[in-house]
Amino acid sequence: MAERGASGFRKDTVDRLLRLHFRDGRTRVNADAQLLMAEFLKVFVREAASRAARQAQAEDLRNVETEQLEKVLPQLLLDF
Amino acid sequence: QRLKAAVHYTVGCLCGEVEEEKDVQFSKQIIAAISDITFRHCEIFAKDLEMFARHAKRTTITTEDVKLLARRSNSLLKHITKMSEELASSNMEQKEKKKKKSSTAKAERTPGEQESAVTENEDSNMA
Repeated sequence: MAERGASGFRKDTVDRLLRLHFRDGRTRVNADAQLLMAEFLKVFVREAASRAARQAQAEDLRNVETEQLEKVLPQLLLDF
Repeated sequence: QRLKAAVHYTVGCLCGEVEEEKDVQFSKQIIAAISDITFRHCEIFAKDLEMFARHAKRTTITTEDVKLLARRSNSLLKHITKMSEELASSNMEQKEKKKKKSSTAKAERTPGEQESAVTENEDSNMA
């Protein structure tokens, strides 16, 4: 398995997160799909963080606050 | 809610990586905000995935459903598709090994996600 020393979501966290919201009790997630979803969520978080960081840099700030997040959030949600 | 805490922890780690990469500092509030948004969005993702599976008359969510979820951004879709192919091919390898052990020929299952890989760009971060 490619271990780049990068963090990410644990497989069973992802599984439980999703199962929280299933309407049908029989719905499950296959193992590969769990891994893909973990990756998906990781990208989601990194996008949110990176975009907010870029926004802060555009405003010449080194500290990224919720203000920057608010500005990038709409587009983020549209892109996902 | 240990699940929320788990999400928060991972979000914190990922933000830490971005901090290093971009030389910025994330405030506690923003980490909490991203974590909260991620947690709440899982509901939308979960329901979509469930509906895709149900539409395909399945009760198990597969990689095909995840790919459908990733459809809105081309680079995201490519990234996810590429990863699913890697998973599929490593699964195939494991199956090959098992086949060699049991020398009976079992029926072959070709996973549906064996599409020919498109030329992959490095911009999986939608830069």
